Amino acid sequence: MTAPTTPPLVRMQSLHKSYGPAIQVLKGLDIEMQPGERLVVIGPSGGGKSTLLRVMMGLEKIDRGSITFGGKPYISSDGLDKKTNIDTEVRRSIGMVFQHYTLFPHLNVVENLILAPCKVRKERKSDATERAVGLLTRFGLAAKAKAYPAQLSGGQKQRVAIARALMLDPKLMLFDEVTSALDPELVAEVEQVILQLAAQKMPMMIVTHDMWFAKNIASRVIFCAGGVVVEDGPPEQVLGSPKEERTRDFIDRVFHIRQ
Amino acid sequence: MNYSFDFQSISFAPLWEGLMVTLELTAAANIIGIVGGFLLALLIMSPIAVIRLPAMLFVEFFRCTPAIVQIVWFFYCVPMLFNVFLGSMTMGILALGFNLMAFNAEAYRASIQAVPREQIDAGIALGLNPFQRILYIVLPTAFRASIPVLLTNGIGIFQQSALVAIVAVQDLMYQGKTLATETYRPIETFTVVALIYFAVSFPVTQVVGYLERRRQLLMN
Repeated sequence: MTAPTTPPLVRMQSLHKSYGPAIQVLKGLDIEMQPGERLVVIGPSGGGKSTLLRVMMGLEKIDRGSITFGGKPYISSDGLDKKTNIDTEVRRSIGMVFQHYTLFPHLNVVENLILAPCKVRKERKSDATERAVGLLTRFGLAAKAKAYPAQLSGGQKQRVAIARALMLDPKLMLFDEVTSALDPELVAEVEQVILQLAAQKMPMMIVTHDMWFAKNIASRVIFCAGGVVVEDGPPEQVLGSPKEERTRDFIDRVFHIRQ
Repeated sequence: MNYSFDFQSISFAPLWEGLMVTLELTAAANIIGIVGGFLLALLIMSPIAVIRLPAMLFVEFFRCTPAIVQIVWFFYCVPMLFNVFLGSMTMGILALGFNLMAFNAEAYRASIQAVPREQIDAGIALGLNPFQRILYIVLPTAFRASIPVLLTNGIGIFQQSALVAIVAVQDLMYQGKTLATETYRPIETFTVVALIYFAVSFPVTQVVGYLERRRQLLMN
C-alpha cells in the first residue's frame, strides 16, 4: 500500500478497554481509516465490535490509547488516573445509529430530527424543519413527518434515526447493528438508505452480522475477535478467501447458518 | 335483621360542605406532592451524600409510618416542639402533602431511572450536553411515565384525607360522623359517605387504567 497524502480520517492507537479486571474487551486495537472509506467490522459476539463503535462515539471510556479524527486529537487516556479525555467539539462531527432505534418517544418524527440542530447548533426552527422535511422526502418518509415513533414500523424508525443523525452534517457515520432488531422483510429498506449514503461518499463504520450487506457496502472489512484485529483487507479477501484461519472459521459458520 | 332504612333523615348540606373541604385538602396536598415530590426526587438521586441521606430519611419516614400517626404527630407534637400551630386546615394540608411528597418522589425516581440508557446515548451522539439531555429527553419521558402513579397516589390522598377528621378538620368524614350522631342513622350516613368517596375516586381509577393502556401502546 502507498502512503496516503491526506491524514487518515480516523487513527485509533492501542485502544484498551475492560469492564472490571476480568473482562478485557479491547486489547490494544490499532485501526486507521482513510477519508471516503466504508469500514465494515465483523466478528463473533463479545469480540469488541460494538464497544469499538461506542468508544468511537465517546459513549464508553477507554483505559488506554488514543483516537485522532481528521488529524485532530479526539479521545485519549494514559491509563494513569483512569480519565478519558474527549473533545466534545470533535465528537459533534460524528453521527451514530443504534440497534434499537432510540427515537425519542415523546417527540414526533420532525421534532426528533430538529431537536439537536435547534438546541446544539441554535439553528432556527423553520430552517431546521425545512431541512428535516427535505431529508425525510429523500428517504421516502415525507408522509410520516408528523407521526410518533410508536406509529412507525421498525424499518421506518431506523430510517428516521439515520435522518436524525444526518441533520448534524456528520463527517463520519457509525452504524451499530442497525438491522439486527428488524424483521427480515424490513432490512432491505434500511440497507438501501445506507447504500444511498455510500454512493454520496459518506465515510462510515458499520458493525453488522449481515454478510450480504457487508459485501455490498464495504470498501474494507475488518474481522475483530478477542479484542484485537485478526484480519483487515478488501471485502473480496476477508469475506471471500480469508487468510487467517479464525476468519475462515467465522465466515464458514456465518454462511452456513444463513443457508 | 329488621332494620328499616331511612335515607330521608340524612341532610346532604353538611356532607356537601364536608366534601368541599376534603377536595380542598386533596388539591392542596397534591400541589405540594407533585411539585415538592419532584424536587425531593432530585435530592434523593443526588450523588452528594449530605443532600441525599436526609432526603431519603424524609421519604422513608413517611413511607414507613402509618398516615394516622403522621397526622396525630403533626397536630400534637409539632405545636409542642416548635411552638407553632397554623390552623387545623393548614396542618392537615401539610401532613397529607408531605406524605404524598414522599410517595411521589419515589414515583419520579423510578420513572427517571427507567429511562433506557440508549435514549441518553442517543442524546450524547446528537451532541446534547448533560443538562439538555435531562431537560429534553429524560424528564419529558419520565414525567409521562409517572403520571399514572401520581394520579393513583393523588386519589390515595383523597381517601387518606378522611383521617384528618380525628383532629377536627371538618371534612367529609367529620361531617359524616357528626351527622350520624345527630340523626342516630350511622348506617345510612356512612353508606352515603362511602358512596361519595367512591363516586369521586372511581372515575380517576378509570382514567389511570386508560392512561396505562395507552402508554403500553405508545411504548411498543
